[in-house]
Amino acid sequence: MSKPLHNNICEERIFSSIFKKHSKDLYHFLYYKFGDSLNPKDKVQEAFIKLWQNCAKVSPEKAKSFVFTAANNLMLNEAAHQKVVLKHQKTKPKTYTNESPEFLMQESEYNDKLQKALANLTDAQRTAFMMNRVEGKRFKEIAALLNISTKAVEKRIYGALKKLRADIKEL
Amino acid sequence: MKREELITKWLDNNLNNEEFEAFKNLEDYEDLIKLNSYLQTFKADSYSVDKALNSTLSAIKSTKKQPKQWLKPLLKIAAILAICFGLYFYTTTLNTTINTAIAEKTEIELPDASSVLLNAKSILAFNKNNWKNERNVTLQGEAFFKVAKGSSFSVITNAGIVTVYGTQFNVKQRENYFEVICYEGLVGVTHNSQETKLKPGDSFLIIDGKKIALEKENASTPSWLNNQSNFKSLPFKTVLAEFERQYNVTFSLINVNKEELFTGTFPHDDIDKALKLITLPSQLTFSKNKNSIILKRE
Repeated sequence: MSKPLHNNICEERIFSSIFKKHSKDLYHFLYYKFGDSLNPKDKVQEAFIKLWQNCAKVSPEKAKSFVFTAANNLMLNEAAHQKVVLKHQKTKPKTYTNESPEFLMQESEYNDKLQKALANLTDAQRTAFMMNRVEGKRFKEIAALLNISTKAVEKRIYGALKKLRADIKEL
Repeated sequence: MKREELITKWLDNNLNNEEFEAFKNLEDYEDLIKLNSYLQTFKADSYSVDKALNSTLSAIKSTKKQPKQWLKPLLKIAAILAICFGLYFYTTTLNTTINTAIAEKTEIELPDASSVLLNAKSILAFNKNNWKNERNVTLQGEAFFKVAKGSSFSVITNAGIVTVYGTQFNVKQRENYFEVICYEGLVGVTHNSQETKLKPGDSFLIIDGKKIALEKENASTPSWLNNQSNFKSLPFKTVLAEFERQYNVTFSLINVNKEELFTGTFPHDDIDKALKLITLPSQLTFSKNKNSIILKRE
C-alpha cells in the first residue's frame, strides 16, 4: 500500500476536505441523538478543532471515527442523560391539502404523539431511524457512519418503526 | 414476499417496481406514508458545510495564538508563589511602630543591644527582621539613642537623616524644628543632602529652615531624660510647644512675643512650678483653666 508523503490532516487542504466530507453527517448524528438543546453545531466545530490539535496523531482514515467519538464525548460531558425532544419545524407536510379545523387539530395531535414517541426511542434507534427517514441515508451508509453492521442498522431502524407505530396507536 | 421484508426494503429505499406494488397493497401502507411525511417535520436545521468550515478554520486560527495548555496551570502556580512571596515580604518588611502619647515617655530595646528613649508624643518605627542588614529607624518627635557598636545606624526623619556608629545622641524633630545633639562617639547629620559631622558636645539645630549655632553641650544625657526640659537661647514658641507636649495643655497668648529668646528649664512633673519657671524670667502672668492656659504680658 502506498502512503503519500503529504497525507496529513495538519494540511489545511486535507483538513478541509475531511471537514466537508463528514461534518454534515456528524451534525445530523448529534442532532438526532441528543436533540437541539446542546448546540450540535458548536460540538461539530469543537470536535474538528480537537482533530486539528491532534492532526499529527490521527491518520486521515481514522479522522471520521475520531470526530464522531470526540463529539459524542463532548455531548455526554455536557449533560447527564436526559430525554431528547426533537423540535418539529413549522412547515407542514404537503401530502395533505385538506385544512379543515378538525383536520388541523388531528394533525397537531398526531405531531405531538410522534414527538413523544420519538423521545421514547433509544438514542441508537432514533439516530439511525432519523438519518434513514429524514436524511434519506441508506442502511449501508449509516452502518459506515456508526461503525456497525448493516444488519444491526436494519434492526435498529425496523425496531424504531415498530415502536413508533405502537406508541402512536397507544397514546 | 413477506410484509416485514417489504417494509425493510422500503425503509432502505430498495424496492423494485414489482415489490413497490406489493408494498402499496399492504394494509399499513397509508399509515406508513403518513408517519413518513410527518417525520419530515422533525428534520434538523439546515447545515451549511462551507459556513461551518470557515468558522471552524477561523476558530482554529484564533486558538492557535492563545497560550498553550501547559501555560495555564503554570500561571496558577506562579500566582500562588507570587502571593506567598508577597506575604512573606510584607510580613518581614512590616515595621514595628511605637507611639507615645502626650506626657508619656518610654524606653525601647532595639533588636541588638541598642536602646531608644522616646519622649512624649513621638513615633518610632523600625524593622525587626531586617535589623541585621540595616539598622534604620524612622522617627517623628524626639528620642535619645544609645547605639551598640556595629554597622551604621540611621535615624530617618522628615527633616534629615542621622547616621552614627555606636554612640549616644539625641534627635529632636518637631514642627519647623530639627535638633541633634551628640553625647558620645561621632554623629553625621544629613540635612538638605549636606552632611555635618558632630563630635561629643556638638549640636545641630535648624529652626524654621535656618541653621542656628549653639554652644557646646556639657551634660552627658539630654535633660528630658531627667524629666526636665532645658532651653538655651531658643524662641519662646519652641518652649511652649514642648510644654504643651509634656502637660497636655494649650496656650493662648496675649501680648506675648513668640520669637523672644528664652533660656531656662522646666520640670515635667510639676505644672505649677513649671509655669512659674517659664513665666517669671519674661515677666509674664498666667491664668490656668483646666487644660487651657492664658499667658499675658502686663
